[in-house]
Amino acid sequence: MPVIEVDNVTRVYAEKGQTPSHALRGVTLAVERGEFMAFAGPSGSGKTTLLNLIGGLDAPSSGEVRVDGVALSGLSRKALADLRRDRIGFVFQSYNLVPVLTAAENAGYVLELKGVSAKERRDKVKAIFERMGLSPFLDSRPLKMSGGQQQRVAVARAIVSQPAVVLADEPTANLDQATGAALMDLMRELNRERGITFIFSSHDPMVLERADRLVRLVDGLVVTDEKRAR
Amino acid sequence: MSTALTSALALGWRNIWRNRRRTVISMSAIGVGLVLVIFYSGLVGGMAQDAKNQLDSAGIGHVEIFARGFRDKRDVAVAMEDASGWREKLRLPPGAQVGARVLARGLATSARGNEPVSVLGVEWDNEPKLSAHLQHISAGALPAPDDVHGVLIGEQLAERLALQVGAKLRLMVQRADAEMGADLFRVRGVFHSISPAIAQRQVYVSKAAARELLGLSEASHQLVVQIDDPDAADALAKELNTALGARFEALSWGELLPVLKRLEAYTGSITLALATFVYFLVGLGILNTMLMSVLERTREFGVLMALGTRPSRVLHLVLAESFWIATLSAAGGALTGGLLAWYFSHAGINFVPGTESYQFEGATISSLIKTRFSPAEIARATAFVYVMTLIVGLYPASRITRLLPAEALRKT
Repeated sequence: MPVIEVDNVTRVYAEKGQTPSHALRGVTLAVERGEFMAFAGPSGSGKTTLLNLIGGLDAPSSGEVRVDGVALSGLSRKALADLRRDRIGFVFQSYNLVPVLTAAENAGYVLELKGVSAKERRDKVKAIFERMGLSPFLDSRPLKMSGGQQQRVAVARAIVSQPAVVLADEPTANLDQATGAALMDLMRELNRERGITFIFSSHDPMVLERADRLVRLVDGLVVTDEKRAR
Repeated sequence: MSTALTSALALGWRNIWRNRRRTVISMSAIGVGLVLVIFYSGLVGGMAQDAKNQLDSAGIGHVEIFARGFRDKRDVAVAMEDASGWREKLRLPPGAQVGARVLARGLATSARGNEPVSVLGVEWDNEPKLSAHLQHISAGALPAPDDVHGVLIGEQLAERLALQVGAKLRLMVQRADAEMGADLFRVRGVFHSISPAIAQRQVYVSKAAARELLGLSEASHQLVVQIDDPDAADALAKELNTALGARFEALSWGELLPVLKRLEAYTGSITLALATFVYFLVGLGILNTMLMSVLERTREFGVLMALGTRPSRVLHLVLAESFWIATLSAAGGALTGGLLAWYFSHAGINFVPGTESYQFEGATISSLIKTRFSPAEIARATAFVYVMTLIVGLYPASRITRLLPAEALRKT
């Protein structure tokens, strides 16, 4: 069973007094467990909207999104929050770490939501940080860290609770080429080691060339969906 | 305490210090508002209390009983027979002080001149419990209980009639039989009163001398009752009226001096108006701070929601910030306001330097106002500000939790 199913999904933004904007116009796709894939397309093509709908951050105007077979349209906001907490990890373009929390606290936040004890959280975060070369920054505040380090903490936060899927919206957009490439390599390794499904949105060729599957969107429609052999 | 709550409080604590200056300014505004309310209500309460205290100082009873008709024309012939025996008949609250007085209007004459006066025939050993100014004898002493021809006068009357302790004073009154009665007295003491009317007009003689002067036997004109709780006076007067029947009338201090009741209502209204105004301003200040603080972090809350934070927990996170702001500012405000109210309840504040008292709608009020230190009032004001701060925090919290995570993430 696919981990993600998107079934004829549309998303129309209807601002009061403005012409409705069609961000997605009937997208259908399925993502298998363990895939390392990317949504590509120009700005306004619907990449972020599609990621948001898959992550239950937004609601489609029509159609259905299923995560691990669970239809999101039937879930309450609380149930959606729980689903995100348990099955989905997010990496955002601009890191979005909480500045008043240390790197370890940021990374362990989802575990805290799940009720994991402080000691267990610390141990898990420590292990991930070691794996990602972040050990010296356990107790650092985000603003004292470089962009690349912050984004690695964001990745650690996304994977620490072993989600089924990590959704990464333009994760390298604010990083230089070398740092971005290192981050992508790291996510690839985590994908292979842990079997976590990664879905990116990007128009960075460096990101796109690393993806096993590339879905191109234009004006809210899937125009190509190609799988690459590795 | 649950882990989620502890965690929300810990995060809230860190968040309020993200913009240290704004938080300190907001907390100062709340704290100062609370200090204002506590101090002002203490001050106004102190003024009202002082006005009530003047009942004792002026020798006005919390409840006074007269033979019906006496007060209309001050006819000394309309008296209560055997008033002294009534103390036992009246069912008074524990701690009540009772005294019978013989009243007359007359003329006091000395070698210097004469002055119109109110003559009060009293029991020397009992009257200082009813008239606080008799505890402040500035020259001489209170006459002995059996001193029939001793007299106590106020400082201003002594000055106008050039009387000193030991001097002779002649009192002339209209007797109960409408003839003129007069007798010679000797000044035993001079009392101090902050009320010019009392210091200039009241003359205290023994009850026996007053009766002899008026040609009365065992009668008294006024039964004065002082109780521990002046607020219970209306109920007591009503009870006594029922018990005593139509021949007598019992009046509470509120009926004897309606101005004091008005003053009490007036000060209460002023305090309420000020408190409402201050609370309103404080509420707006907190709302502004919380809105700014929360809405500028909309994206951050969007991230937290994306990570799986339930809407209820987002609400807790925002309320945790309100909680800390409310706790710190209310504690600081209550402590400062309480200390100020306590300090000035002892030291007092002199609002009219150079004078001892001033008149307010006929009531004598001391220039030195001591604030009323009431822990219950402080707790009430603090609780109000505290709850208001928490409630105000609900609005920005609800603004955030209404958003879908994607909407929150789009905010810059």
